[in-house]
Amino acid sequence: MSENISVHVFRFDPETENEGKFVEYSVPYIEGMAVLDTVRYVEENIDPTLSIRWNCKAGKCGSCSTEINGKPSLMCKTKVDTLGKDITVAPMASFPLIKDLVTDISENWEIARKIPMFSPREGMEEPWKINPKDVERSKEFKRCIECFLCMDVCHVIREHYTPYFGPRYIVKAASWDMHPLDALDRSKFLNNEGGLGYCNITKCCTDVCPEHIKITDNAIIQEKERNVDRQYDPIAMLIKGRRKKEKVVR
Amino acid sequence: MSFSVKDKEKMEKVVKFPREFGTIRFWSFVLLVLLAIYLMTEFAMSKPVEGLTDPFYAPTILVLPLVAGFRATCYAYRKDYHRHLFKHPMACEVTSFRDAQKKMDISGEKRGRLYVGETNFFRLENLHRYFWYAAVAILPFFFFDIYVALSYNGTFTLGALLLIWNTFWAVIYTFSCHFFRHVTGGNVDCYSCPVNKKSARRPLFNAISKLNNNHETFAWMSLASFFLVDLFIRGVAVGLPINILLFRL
Repeated sequence: MSENISVHVFRFDPETENEGKFVEYSVPYIEGMAVLDTVRYVEENIDPTLSIRWNCKAGKCGSCSTEINGKPSLMCKTKVDTLGKDITVAPMASFPLIKDLVTDISENWEIARKIPMFSPREGMEEPWKINPKDVERSKEFKRCIECFLCMDVCHVIREHYTPYFGPRYIVKAASWDMHPLDALDRSKFLNNEGGLGYCNITKCCTDVCPEHIKITDNAIIQEKERNVDRQYDPIAMLIKGRRKKEKVVR
Repeated sequence: MSFSVKDKEKMEKVVKFPREFGTIRFWSFVLLVLLAIYLMTEFAMSKPVEGLTDPFYAPTILVLPLVAGFRATCYAYRKDYHRHLFKHPMACEVTSFRDAQKKMDISGEKRGRLYVGETNFFRLENLHRYFWYAAVAILPFFFFDIYVALSYNGTFTLGALLLIWNTFWAVIYTFSCHFFRHVTGGNVDCYSCPVNKKSARRPLFNAISKLNNNHETFAWMSLASFFLVDLFIRGVAVGLPINILLFRL
């Protein structure tokens, strides 16, 4: 099959240009090819100055995150035959652009450093023992490959100035919070410092997650409910205050 | 283009709630509600039937704030009205990079629409659990209605079937709630600590989680069934021959 597809790739070099533009390339279609294959074809055969970031080509490294036809997706996991003959590939707009399809995601590491780390309960016998079923909830969040598609699609981060940490970091905090051996409760911290209240449950992050983590239902809403226990519900505050099992991070 | 964590902190408290309501969708929704109330009073039933002629004088109207509060603070509806009334965001599709660049220009203060999320006025949404308690207190009345419908004439009619249908959705919607999921096991980190202690909360939590996956569907099914059953009851009250006899008990 010698059909050609047209790929519109966003090109922008901040050192030489003031504004970016979409450039159309014609790429021969091979059955079963992914968007990453088309972009790599452009890089190898048409314009070697095109900058892209990719690594494993198996949907596990989270490097090739872009916006394909208006939907944040991994280039390697998006098949061309699901899109048609016109494909638009743009970099993630939530992060500063370095060149072409490559963005600077380093501000995420700053957020990651703010979240209190896993801290085991005191006085546990070594080696620590856990029932595997108890870590299931925490393990779901460990599947995250840090592709930052959820951060990109989140309208709070994309369009507004808020202190919101973003779905990825609520998931990270939740993975420690729901760990059976963790001694901290980060929900109050997430609300006060992490802007948990700015999330309005519109579930776009869950829709784009390539690892199918139920970000909103299992992480964000759970953290919100825990925070209500700590800050808004007098009855729960009374009960939890008496138990004092977990150390609350403010 | 984008902004650092420090900038985000600076902008933390600039927004106020009235701007949130500045969308035409929200005001057209308000207009529709007012129109519905006007039509209800204008076209009130001419034939007087006790307690049902005027919706504003029926005692059941007193329950409405609790039920409406329950639904307005529900996570499923929050998603819907934040999206469709306030357009935050309208859909998950992202704008092209250049449009986003213009919106996110850090140099000027000109930004996208102001936004409070679930802080500020919308902090009230955190009271969902108290409305849930009220909703659970109201549920027995649904069963009482079914009992009355079945024992009134000793017949099983279409009305009784609809009441059972309505009760089914109301119960399943109430007990698939995110708050209920939280209290049954969501707030517990370790069900079997010390290791292998038996706990009934894990299976309960897993069961509620399965129900909770379809919470949105249940929310809309129960809302639609409320409207239809209420219409049906009003129809029966004015004497329309719609309460078909299915079989005698």
